[in-house]
Amino acid sequence: MAGSGTAARLLPYLQVAPLALILGVFLVVPILTLVVVSFFDYDSVRIIPDFVWTNYAEVLLSAVTWRTYAKTVWFAALVWAITLFIGFWVAYFLAFHVRSRTVQTALFLLCTIPFWTSNIIRMISWVPFLGRNGLLNQALLGLGAIDRPLEFLLFSDFAVVLAFVHLYTLFMVVPIFNTMMRIDRRLVEAAVDAGANAWQVLTNVIIPLSKPGIAIGSIFVVVLVMGDFITVRLMSGGQSASVGLMIYNQISLLQYPAAAANAVVLLAIVLLMVGAILRVVDIRREL
Amino acid sequence: MPHDVELVNVTKRYGSGAVAVKGISLRIPAATYCCLLGPSGCGKTSTLRMIAGHESVSSGSVLLAGREVTDLPPAKRGTAMMFQSYALFPHLDCLDNVAFSLKMRGVPKAERRARALHFLKLVDLERYASRLPAQLSGGQQQRVALARALITEPRVLLLDEPLSALDPFLRGRMREELKRLQRELGISFVHVTHSQEEAMALSDLVVVMEGGEIVQAASPRDVFERPATAFVARFIGGHNVLPAPAGDGTVAVRADRCRLRPPDAETYGPHLPGTVSAVEYQGPVVRVALATAAGEAVAMLPDDVFHAAPVAPGDAAVLAWSEDDMHALAPSPSDAAAATLTDPLAAA
Amino acid sequence: MTDDHADRPARPASATRRRLLGAAAGAALGSGAVTGFPTLWAQNIRNVTLRQFGTGVSALNPIAEQVKKDLGFTLSMTALDTDAVTQRAVTQPRSYDIADIEYFVCKKVWPAGVLQPLEVKKIALYDKIVPIFTTGKLTPESPIAQGTAPHTVSFVESKGATAFAPHPTEWMTLIPTIYNADTLGIRPDLVGRPIRNWKDLVDPAFKGKASILNIPGIGIMDAAMVMESLGTLRYGDKGNMTRAEIDRTIAFLIEQKRAGQFRAFWKTFDESVNLMASGEVVIQSMWSPAVTAVKTRGIPCVYQPLAEGYRAWGGGLGVAKHLSGLQLDAAYEYINWYLSGWCGAYLNRQGYYSAVLDTAKRHMSENEWGYWMEGKPAAADIMGPDGKLLDKAGSVRDGGSFTDRMGKVACWNSVMNEDRYMVQKWNEFIAA
Repeated sequence: MAGSGTAARLLPYLQVAPLALILGVFLVVPILTLVVVSFFDYDSVRIIPDFVWTNYAEVLLSAVTWRTYAKTVWFAALVWAITLFIGFWVAYFLAFHVRSRTVQTALFLLCTIPFWTSNIIRMISWVPFLGRNGLLNQALLGLGAIDRPLEFLLFSDFAVVLAFVHLYTLFMVVPIFNTMMRIDRRLVEAAVDAGANAWQVLTNVIIPLSKPGIAIGSIFVVVLVMGDFITVRLMSGGQSASVGLMIYNQISLLQYPAAAANAVVLLAIVLLMVGAILRVVDIRREL
Repeated sequence: MPHDVELVNVTKRYGSGAVAVKGISLRIPAATYCCLLGPSGCGKTSTLRMIAGHESVSSGSVLLAGREVTDLPPAKRGTAMMFQSYALFPHLDCLDNVAFSLKMRGVPKAERRARALHFLKLVDLERYASRLPAQLSGGQQQRVALARALITEPRVLLLDEPLSALDPFLRGRMREELKRLQRELGISFVHVTHSQEEAMALSDLVVVMEGGEIVQAASPRDVFERPATAFVARFIGGHNVLPAPAGDGTVAVRADRCRLRPPDAETYGPHLPGTVSAVEYQGPVVRVALATAAGEAVAMLPDDVFHAAPVAPGDAAVLAWSEDDMHALAPSPSDAAAATLTDPLAAA
Repeated sequence: MTDDHADRPARPASATRRRLLGAAAGAALGSGAVTGFPTLWAQNIRNVTLRQFGTGVSALNPIAEQVKKDLGFTLSMTALDTDAVTQRAVTQPRSYDIADIEYFVCKKVWPAGVLQPLEVKKIALYDKIVPIFTTGKLTPESPIAQGTAPHTVSFVESKGATAFAPHPTEWMTLIPTIYNADTLGIRPDLVGRPIRNWKDLVDPAFKGKASILNIPGIGIMDAAMVMESLGTLRYGDKGNMTRAEIDRTIAFLIEQKRAGQFRAFWKTFDESVNLMASGEVVIQSMWSPAVTAVKTRGIPCVYQPLAEGYRAWGGGLGVAKHLSGLQLDAAYEYINWYLSGWCGAYLNRQGYYSAVLDTAKRHMSENEWGYWMEGKPAAADIMGPDGKLLDKAGSVRDGGSFTDRMGKVACWNSVMNEDRYMVQKWNEFIAA
């Protein structure tokens, strides 16, 4: 029976093989390649296999990199805070105040509207709305609220954050809503029974129990914002930098090793951020 | 002394038009263990939740200790509720679960922890103070829930099917503990259950409900000896519901007071001929079921009586009882429905 | 009547087109005859497929269709953006047969050894190619512009050489296809004053209403044009700046950015069109077809000639190293056809310039030639290749004639030796 014993031992490995293969080919190999290339040298047309630290030196020792990272983190933090606030209340409303399943589904679909068009079209559509002669400025001028168009509405950090929030709030709503739907409604009653008012129910029961959803949503938003290049470019009118944009520029100029080094640094920073979130909140219950 | 709980013509109507509770009135005297007993959908849980304040009252009044509380929020009523499957806060340890209501009232941390520990001691769980609910057994969770409810020092403790999630052994132990606590604390417990056995064992006052109405509210002994309707008789079990010998309405006869006679014997008193359909040996008693013209009837015979004249399925026999052990039943509002219910004892 | 006026020229124009199509077929046949060169009319050339890739400007399907009709073989076109073109050319040399690349890209790509030079003696119309691409002088007295001027990367000494020859030789790297002179685009209705110099881009009057393109190699050159126009800095070669020049240029850009001069920086064609059309920007770096796109929306937009001259760019066809035998013959056939007129006319009609002007002229109407090449007022409405109205009768092309525009090139698009450093500094500007 030795044969069947070996087969039994091999079986679990066979069962994980397909996933391991997919992850290996599409995740591990590319990342390893990235790391390897980040040590290569390059000139204006070629990458030269080598082992040099210059790419990292250029990334880490440049004030521009630090400023760009700081700006990107600042975007991520701001967008995170706003999407969390909006996303939490939308999820709360959907989970605790909308009783009908149909209405819930309909409202959920409404939240996905920003995803019905392509990224570029959606962002270009902001121009006639927020622009100098856009709808918003026209309306405000018409109302007499302002006497000259507000310039900061478009091609500014405000516009970048607005577009991010518009896009990514859904990524906050979905996991938080999901967690909230799993909260036993009797817990709310138990809290009320113990004398909690609406605010106390929220802070002592709903928020603590929504933490895994908040963490997952936060990971989504932070990762998406940290890696973005197109939103920042289009909404700031190219006037703001982001790490993604920096990498994109390097790739455009065939500076693959520099881009790879930058990507490795970005990856490390994003992993640290995700790690920090996971340290604070245990999300295993949700997975 | 006012009643701990008084319901005056209380009705619960849901938005869909369904009526869960139909104008019931009930008085629960001070320091009473009261069980609301009935099958699922009879309105017992809605009644409990209206007393707690978790369900609005459509019409009528709820009074607690003589005070009108119909529109007060739960925490202002002097009640505390222990929820089915306990509803412990999964993110808080036992101590914080118990201390929760004190925290809501703004009691300082040290003080509320000391008080919570005292209540954990009361339910013998002080060793588990820092555990999360998920790390406790079902019985332990239940005692935490009890401590959490009692820390508010309620005048009335409301328990929603508190024992249904426990295994039979623990259920017996907890039953004793609940009764002991109620006696020691000198407050009223209102306990919702669908188990007549639980209700009999615990109650000072059994309230049997059916179809949103109270069909009988009395001491367990009264309920058992003089069930008000055929539904009550069948629900609490141990009774034969038979057509009145006078041919007018139905009567209930306790199964343990029935005897079997051979078909050819001369019988004086009320009797009913039939055929033995089943014989079940249950230790001290033997349960003999008869198929009769009025449906199934049961005789619970002490083992010595059975063995003196044993019968076997298929034998003809006559069920006989004395006039004194029989009492007439009031017509039940939903007799037709109740008639389809099987004997819960037989089912158990 | 205005109605008549608008209607009439359409008929002659389409008639002209039909006539031209017929002529083109004849011209293709004739091109061999003109030089006495053996034309490859073997039946098996029909089985040849040449894979060409390039930027969207010249990867035009009507050209492929015409090739099929005139030459019989298949030309499959792939359009990519400039950055992707460079990458593809260097990293996947077997994925294409013909590379349609810009001259400054050629400077980057050629040393990688992925292309083979073309024999001048096999190019029938070599002598007629606009001298910009051979000697660098449009007329004998023209100055040579700065940057990667096409003639500096047009020749190599021998077949295997990776270094460029400083003068015409027997081996050409690219055969020019399409080129143009770029300048600033303006909204004449919104600028409120005549625009004459590159320095007008940073006029405080246009604070928050100016834009510059965010493609480092080109953007920095526009900035250099502005700096020179202001008189702040004189460059040795705007197309090949020193570190010190780069530092000063970037410092200037950062200063302007902080002062709020720029409304936005654009990277794609569509972005530049939107900025201009919406009125967010009234003066900016622009490409000629983008100006046309704004105009076809009915919004006034002018491709403004400036005193300091133009920034020019050009592209050409290169042949992949792996090509040989029948395929290589087909490639020569295609290149000769490209210069033979139909194609030149097609490109000229879009506002670009073609390499051999004489043959193109024969495929254009007198009105078209006058408007596009000679800077004359249009005698009749000017239509685009798609049949849409481009300019009304009586109007004049911005910047005037071919010699006015291409004779005033101050600088060619380029890749600098300090490319890497320049990009770092450019990122600094964007991050500032």
